[in-house]
Amino acid sequence: MAATTQERPMDLERPIKEIGTDLAARMPRPRLVSTARVEQRMTEMLMKDPALRAALFRFVDVRPACDTPADLIRHLHEFLEEAESKTAQRASTFTGRPLARRPIAAVAGAGVKRMAQQFIVGEDAKDALPEITKLWKHGVETTVDLLGEATVSETEADVYMRRCEETLRALAGAATKPGQVNLSVKVSALTPLLRPTAPERGIEGARPRLEHLLRVAKEVGAHLHVDMESFDTREAITELTLDLLSQPEFADGPSAGIVLQAYLVESPEHLDHLLDWAERTPRTHPFVIRLVKGAYWDHEVVQAAQNGWAPPVFTDRRECDRNFEQLTRRLIDATPTVRVAIASHNLRSISHAAAYADARGVGNADLEFQILRGLGDDTQAAIAATGRQVRAYCPVGDLVAGMAYLVRRLLENTANDSFLAAHASGTDTAELLEAP
Amino acid sequence: MNTFRNEPLLELRRSTVRNEALAALAALDAKLPLEVPMLIGEDVVQGQVFSSVDPSAPATVVANAHAATAAHVGDAITAAERGQKVWSQRPASERAAALSRAAGILRSRRYELAALAVREAGKPWAEADGDVAEAIDFLEYYAQGALALDGGRPLIQMPGERNAMRYVARGITGVIAPWNFPLAIAAGMVSAALATGNAVILKPAEQAPACAKAVVDALHAGGVPLEALSFLPGGDEPGKALVADPRIHTIVFTGSCAAGLNILQTANTFVPGQRHIKKVIAEMGGKNAIIVDSDADLDDVVPGLLKSAFAFAGQKCSAASRALIHKAVADELAERLAGAISTLRVGPAADFGTDVPPVIDIAAQQRIQGYVDSARPLAQGDTRDDGFYVAPTLFHGLPADHKVIQEEIFGPVLSLETVDNVEHACDLVDAGGFALTGGLFSRSPRTIEYVSDRTPVGNLYINREITGAMVGRQPFGGGRLSGTGPKAGGPDYLLQFVEARAVTENTVRHGLVV
Ligand SMILES: Cc1cc2nc3c(=O)[nH]c(=O)nc-3n(C[C@H](O)[C@H](O)[C@H](O)COP(=O)(O)OP(=O)(O)OC[C@H]3O[C@@H](n4cnc5c(N)ncnc54)[C@H](O)[C@@H]3O)c2cc1C
Repeated sequence: MAATTQERPMDLERPIKEIGTDLAARMPRPRLVSTARVEQRMTEMLMKDPALRAALFRFVDVRPACDTPADLIRHLHEFLEEAESKTAQRASTFTGRPLARRPIAAVAGAGVKRMAQQFIVGEDAKDALPEITKLWKHGVETTVDLLGEATVSETEADVYMRRCEETLRALAGAATKPGQVNLSVKVSALTPLLRPTAPERGIEGARPRLEHLLRVAKEVGAHLHVDMESFDTREAITELTLDLLSQPEFADGPSAGIVLQAYLVESPEHLDHLLDWAERTPRTHPFVIRLVKGAYWDHEVVQAAQNGWAPPVFTDRRECDRNFEQLTRRLIDATPTVRVAIASHNLRSISHAAAYADARGVGNADLEFQILRGLGDDTQAAIAATGRQVRAYCPVGDLVAGMAYLVRRLLENTANDSFLAAHASGTDTAELLEAP
Repeated sequence: MNTFRNEPLLELRRSTVRNEALAALAALDAKLPLEVPMLIGEDVVQGQVFSSVDPSAPATVVANAHAATAAHVGDAITAAERGQKVWSQRPASERAAALSRAAGILRSRRYELAALAVREAGKPWAEADGDVAEAIDFLEYYAQGALALDGGRPLIQMPGERNAMRYVARGITGVIAPWNFPLAIAAGMVSAALATGNAVILKPAEQAPACAKAVVDALHAGGVPLEALSFLPGGDEPGKALVADPRIHTIVFTGSCAAGLNILQTANTFVPGQRHIKKVIAEMGGKNAIIVDSDADLDDVVPGLLKSAFAFAGQKCSAASRALIHKAVADELAERLAGAISTLRVGPAADFGTDVPPVIDIAAQQRIQGYVDSARPLAQGDTRDDGFYVAPTLFHGLPADHKVIQEEIFGPVLSLETVDNVEHACDLVDAGGFALTGGLFSRSPRTIEYVSDRTPVGNLYINREITGAMVGRQPFGGGRLSGTGPKAGGPDYLLQFVEARAVTENTVRHGLVV
């Protein structure tokens, strides 16, 4: 198996270019977020003006904590005033004017809300159902993610578990075909006991709740996917998931999966561990491994720097991307023991996976692509148009809970080295498809 | 040029690192109890034996130490008079090198010393490791700082006149160290004095003599002459004698406010024959408050408060004991905190899963329990009876004059107070006698500026926990009754240990500038 992964990449470049160029041609004009022109101009501006970007993100972040329009505009004004940016300074002369405040607050408040709605399909399962079923009707598979505040008590963990259960049942009630219901869960929301130095505490804490959700998922025929979070919790999340899925009662269901983060330097060993487990643990529904780069890059780098540690993540973009490709090939080689989900908006990463799968004769039964709703909608449409399977990750939650998610997504995708940012700013397709 | 970098912390989130720590603990346990004699000049001296015990298992004796009497103090100071001459004459570079070698020795004993702090002070691993790392930081930071100070300061020069300012050691320094950072604070206070050329007599905390001895051993092995650093374990007696002796120039103290005020009084009482004014550098605790504004992110506030108030059972001078919460978020935050407090695991310091360890000794346990029993708690965590445990306790809405709100508790107790707004919170903080650390959770730049401007505290932390000051990054120390002000681990600290001497030379000879 190792030998094939090593000799392949050479002959892949041509099909990667072909697939990538085809996908790019199917996408509407490159843009960051599928939105109106004004907002698109704004995002472009943000990418060029880091101080303004910081000011606006801080505003988006505090938005749900502002009770009154006056409070909202006060924060906006302060952020703009503080920012070392000409545009922000100019804007702050408006937010500083008493008469302009009310209308600006209304617009700014609504703007944030609209932005959030692009990413978030509804406040709760019931509210989200029309949107989800619409996606299903259009042939788009989904996985629902329940946004929430941090879980700091057992009560809050119970509430999250119940929301998950309700969502599973609500979606199952509306599903039109088997396997359609798919929920992504966060272990950190299922227990307040995750401790970096004591993984067993988080494992014990979350076990009964995750076990319950697995039973519900099995009962309603849903897929349950365990998201991966910061490195501090990786071990607990992985061990808990594998341990529960090793129980005989879950061998024949539900369908379940986990996430592999390619930005982690040790991710090849993590994959060894997952594949080793999967081979030893036969399941009716093959274990799904979602490959991502990883959403906590800044956090990992900052934490490591402050504590004097070597960062657990690659600090070179290209190394991370190369590792993503290597893991992609190993995963595709491991089908059908595992099912593979390639979760990325990066055209190169996607095309590489598609090209390699084609070369290995691996199709939709064993491989799917995944994107985040609101960010990857065009990518999703393009991939789907080429007959490959795509799933949209659909967050559900209220504005307060959604804000952390929104800020994280926006920061990530207006970062200068993000693929979406490069694409939106008009970088040439050929360049975007170059081998990392 | 300063090349200082903080010592990396152990990456205890990795099981390989945790296993190594546990192996070090097992190795230490096999050696207990440790023997901690007095070190007076060149002599190893025995005395009346007292013990330090493991707060998580009080039947375990960690060290048998030998208590110094007033007479031992006299001997140590006599030795230090010789040590002072020798040590202050050494070039600053040599002194710095000795400190740096000592840091290297601590570094090589990293796990072992963390294990010792776990056992002797009941510090959970991450805190114990932080203590070792900070001890190393102090040695390296002050070594470098003393080198920089050695060059003196530039002065204005005139034709025919050469002006120079240099810094010289003050003289014999008595250090009285606390048990809560048994390695770091002892190392910091001692090394600041040594780096600047002062002979030192260290009186460690009664509860943690073995930790302090490890620091002293490293300094001696690193090249500090025996007579320049004596070590006197014991209780009040040697401490009092040290402060009162007319031959002492500087007293460096970290501990309670009452003890600090006492020291100040004694030190300022002139003794016939005394030829200088003693200087006291004191760090004396706090009653630290965290302000939570209505725009705070409660997801950050809850863990921030828990960590500030309950880590190491609240036994840090910097720990939070009050939270002043804007009325708009007070109910929600109180409810979330009440739910969160029961997730804290109370247990032995050596367990990696422990959130709240025991307190240091039975006296502390009983004293803190008095506060816990003084009102009806909003919520309370677990407790156990196989060590000096106190249940982490949350109070809400106590009257302003209640002792839980007024007095320093130094235990796992947090009281929540509802305030009308940030100004109101600042008034409450301002009304207090202490001014060590403080916190603010807010997302408004103006509020942050307002509180930064108004707060009396020495260390203000915004949108994070208020403990865990790092050498060179968060110079530490407070004003008012919290201390005499100098910032440990900061660029000005060493100035406390020196006197400045200005030398002006007339360079005109026979009407010519030579
Ligand atoms: C359906 C779906 C599910 C997801 N689930 C999870 C999950 O469970 N857990 C999780 O952590 N993430 C998850 N993600 C997020 C994912 O990890 C990425 O953050 C996000 O998709 C951006 O990566 P990209 O390949 O789309 O874009 P790209 O622009 O190609 O890559 C951006 C990513 O590269 C990495 N990176 C950035 N700078 C550097 C650098 N200097 N050196 C090295 N690496 C760098 C970071 O991971 C960054 O997010 C999910 C994404 C999707 C689409």
